[in-house]
This record gives sequence, C-alpha cells and structure tokens, in this order.
Amino acid sequence: MTGRRRCPRGYDAVVTDPSALLRHPIVTATVGAGALAVDSASAAYRGVTRLPVVGAQLDRGVTALTRRGEQVLHHGADPVRALITAVAVQIVDEVLAALDLTALVRDRVDIDAVVSDVDIDAIIARIDLVGLANQIIDGVDLPSIIRESTTTVTADVMTDVRAQGERADDMVSGLFDRMLGRGGRAE
Amino acid sequence: MTTPEARTAGIVSRGAAGIVDVLVVLVALAALYVGWVFLRLAFSPRAFAFPAPSVVFSTFGFLVTATLYLAVCWAVSGCTVGAVLTGVRVVGRTSGRLTPATAVLRALACVAFPIGLAWVAVDRRRRSVQDILLGTRVVYNRARATPAPNSLPT
Repeated sequence: MTGRRRCPRGYDAVVTDPSALLRHPIVTATVGAGALAVDSASAAYRGVTRLPVVGAQLDRGVTALTRRGEQVLHHGADPVRALITAVAVQIVDEVLAALDLTALVRDRVDIDAVVSDVDIDAIIARIDLVGLANQIIDGVDLPSIIRESTTTVTADVMTDVRAQGERADDMVSGLFDRMLGRGGRAE
Repeated sequence: MTTPEARTAGIVSRGAAGIVDVLVVLVALAALYVGWVFLRLAFSPRAFAFPAPSVVFSTFGFLVTATLYLAVCWAVSGCTVGAVLTGVRVVGRTSGRLTPATAVLRALACVAFPIGLAWVAVDRRRRSVQDILLGTRVVYNRARATPAPNSLPT
C-alpha cells in the first residue's frame, strides 16, 4: 500500500505519456551517462591522436577503416535493398493470400460512405451515352422485333375480323332460317 | 358435303370481300388513269390536257378490269384481296381450285349480275346464283377459330 503511494507517477502513467517518459529520471540519467561516455571517448580519441607516433598511425587507421566502410556500404546497399524488397514482397504476398480481402472489405469498409462520395454525374459525363446507345441498338435486332410484333398484331386483328364475320354469317343465316320457317342450316 | 375446316361462307363475309374487291378495282382504275395521264404528258407535253373519259367508257373499263381481276385471282389461288382479308376462298365442285374457264365465267356472271350474291342469305346451302349455275362454293379459308352458334354438324 505504502509503496504504491510513494510512486505517484506509476509505470502506466509514464507509458501512456511519451513526453513524460523522456523526462523520467532513469531515462535522463541513462542518456547523461551515455553522453558522458561518448564525450570521454571523444576526448580520449582526440588525446591519443595528438600523441607523436601513435596518433598518426591511429588517424590513418581510422581513415582507412572509414574509407573501407564507405566502400562496403556503397557496394553492399543495392544487394541488401533488393534482398529486403524481395523478402517484403514475399511477406506481403503470403499475408494477402492468407486474408479474405472481400470479407475484410465487407466487414471493415463502409461501402455506402465510399459510394456516397462518388461523383456519379462526372462519371456519366465521361461516358459516351449516344455511342453506348448505338452499340446497344446495333446489338439488338430491332427491325426483326418490330416486324414480329407487327406481324403478330396484324394476324390477331385479321383473325378477330374473320371470326366476327363468321359469327355475323351465322347470325344472318339463323335470322333467315327463322323468317322462312326453316329448322336449320344445310350448308 | 363440307368438312368443318371448309364451311361455306355467309353473306356478311362474302359481302365484305366484295366491297373490298370493288375498292381494289377502283384503285386499279385510278392507277391506270394516272399512268395514262403521265404517258400523254410524256409524249405530248405541249398539247397535254387531263383526259376526261366518258361515263360509258369508265363503266366499261370498270367492268372489264373487275372481270379480269376476279377471273385471274380465282383461277390462280381462289382468293381475291377481299377474300384474303375476310378469310374465304372460292372452290370448285371438288373443293379444288377453279378451272380458268369456270373462273372467267364466274367473274363474268358476278360482274354482270352482282345482285346474285344476295341469294347467299336465302339459300340453305349459302350459294349465290353464280354458285348454283357454275357449281362453285365459297368456303372459309381456315380452321374454325370459334364455334358458330346454332351450327349443325356437317
């Protein structure tokens, strides 16, 4: 209980605030120790390089090492970059293969919101509607459809007219049969 | 005797067909007149004047045209334009196509005595005077689309 009270800025508070983490005494003390070590190493290096014989040798050695390091970095960067790229591509491929992107998009993406932002008018303006209509009309055998429908309508009308005429014939025949006292028609 | 597919047509269908045929002949006469006008205009444009055929000439032309039209149609197919529209057909004694001589005689009889068609309404077998004289019949040129009321089995 007491230990917890002595630590008002607990680990959770430090972790949740990165700026406070940098101001933590442990961090600052560690950084200070590192800086002191670097300063000491620099001062030691400068002091050694000022020595009569050893300084010149050390300076040449450091210069040669630096040049060698630069050469290695210069010639070794491209293969390393290619290797890293290949590995990264392979990893991405494996991840994509393991993921169901369709389900992922369906679950995680608000498609309605995306679609609502689409400028439909701009898309329609880019479409050649007249050309599209002509292509559709070219694909449809319109004369054949008109011909078939016209033929069907005409045939229906003619059939109806003929049936009406036949019924009228029978009606007139029946009328004359009754007028002349005949029992029925003998065609 | 007639089969159900070849019932004899009555006065209404045949009268309607006759009216249509009269109109067809009139249109043909009008076409002949227009053609005659263009011929005269083409051969003598300066002396051109619209021909004014007399009533006798016009009547004679109508009768001749009607006779030719009916005879040719009946001899070729048994159907005039009016007959096609009303769905009837002229057949001979054996329910076949008319012979050319019968077609010409029937055409002459119909043009000379058109009122003979009225006998169709009176005759029990729906025959016109021309049909009785020449032994022809006018039948429906189709299967029966609707059952006729009061029709007897034939």
